[in-house]
Amino acid sequence: MRALIALAILASGIASAQKLPWQTDETPAQQPQSVKFLYPEQVSVAAGKESVVELHFKINPGLHINSHVPREKSFIPTQLIVAEPTGVKIGQVDFPEGSDYSLAFAPNEKLSVYTGEFVVRAHITAQAGEHLLDGVLRYQACDTNACYPPRKAPVAVDIVAR
Amino acid sequence: MKRNYLVIVVVVVAVVLMAWAGVANYRKRKEEQDRLKQMQAMMMTATPPPSAAGANSGSEPEMMTNPLAGKVAPDFTLKDTTGRKVSLSSYKGKAVVLDFWATWCAPCKIEIPWLEKLRDQYASQGLEVLGVSEDDLDLDDKAKLAKEKQDIADSATKLHINYPVLIDDNETSKPYGGIDALPTTFYIDRNGKVVAATIGLADRDEIEANIQKSLGGQKTVGSETQAQKGQP
Repeated sequence: MRALIALAILASGIASAQKLPWQTDETPAQQPQSVKFLYPEQVSVAAGKESVVELHFKINPGLHINSHVPREKSFIPTQLIVAEPTGVKIGQVDFPEGSDYSLAFAPNEKLSVYTGEFVVRAHITAQAGEHLLDGVLRYQACDTNACYPPRKAPVAVDIVAR
Repeated sequence: MKRNYLVIVVVVVAVVLMAWAGVANYRKRKEEQDRLKQMQAMMMTATPPPSAAGANSGSEPEMMTNPLAGKVAPDFTLKDTTGRKVSLSSYKGKAVVLDFWATWCAPCKIEIPWLEKLRDQYASQGLEVLGVSEDDLDLDDKAKLAKEKQDIADSATKLHINYPVLIDDNETSKPYGGIDALPTTFYIDRNGKVVAATIGLADRDEIEANIQKSLGGQKTVGSETQAQKGQP
């Protein structure tokens, strides 16, 4: 019975969910993605102590995305956007350094980008219990000749703090 | 008994809502796939490379896969960065390069200086270039919107753009295939018809050949397009 009621609450939640800060009309899951969150799905951490959660991402072959600090102001940086669940404090988020990349038509102009797989390290402190870290990685991808609008790849990690 | 009815109603509602969410999600994905297919279909069939252009002089370029090929370019009225209204239809009689770009698009910033020079070169023959910014705008926040528009204007100034830069209203790009890859450029002849289109950064010679085509010249160069590599 409880399971059924929980299902109903979940279903009604789908229909009337409140918009979170990063949400648009098109949910991240509905957008065609150039970047995928790989893992972890679940992490175990020590309760009440700062821990580092390594979030692994993969960029589709042939594409690159701006690093978290693009060299030009108008370029869109890669950002991790998460809502702090109750009982979890998110501290510093460390992004890897970008690699130099030049377009064939402008070999002297260096862009700071990520390609392939990369890891974002989030420093978190969780109270004892199970928490869902839910958010998105905002990025803007390009290939050698074209760029695609900024997108948000969903990120979800189950945090078990003991 | 009454409680059992309530539970049944709740379960039925839950199932209906879940089914509805699934169908809505499927439709959205299907629409997105169709849109991408349409964009890919807009890639032109390659015409002979420059070395073979002479042999083909005078022939019509192959562009049957472009859904807008030979059709009148969808009209629009947009405001430029100074707030002036600009309509595509007001350029009838001129050849128009319609370039969709964004401030965050690095390949666009390579193409734009070429367009500036080509506009100067061919303006006396009746060429105009219109840039349409595809930057995201926050329409609900006036202060933010004003800043975003100013950022577009600042980028245009920094790039020394010498042609009108229009700000998309999120609707204009739809009849052009729902622009997803930038730059995307349409070449429109004096009668308002689309004679060529490219997705992604094209070669400068190809851009010039397409401009000549839109002006009524006979030179044809490969109209191959790029992009969509790896994009789902």
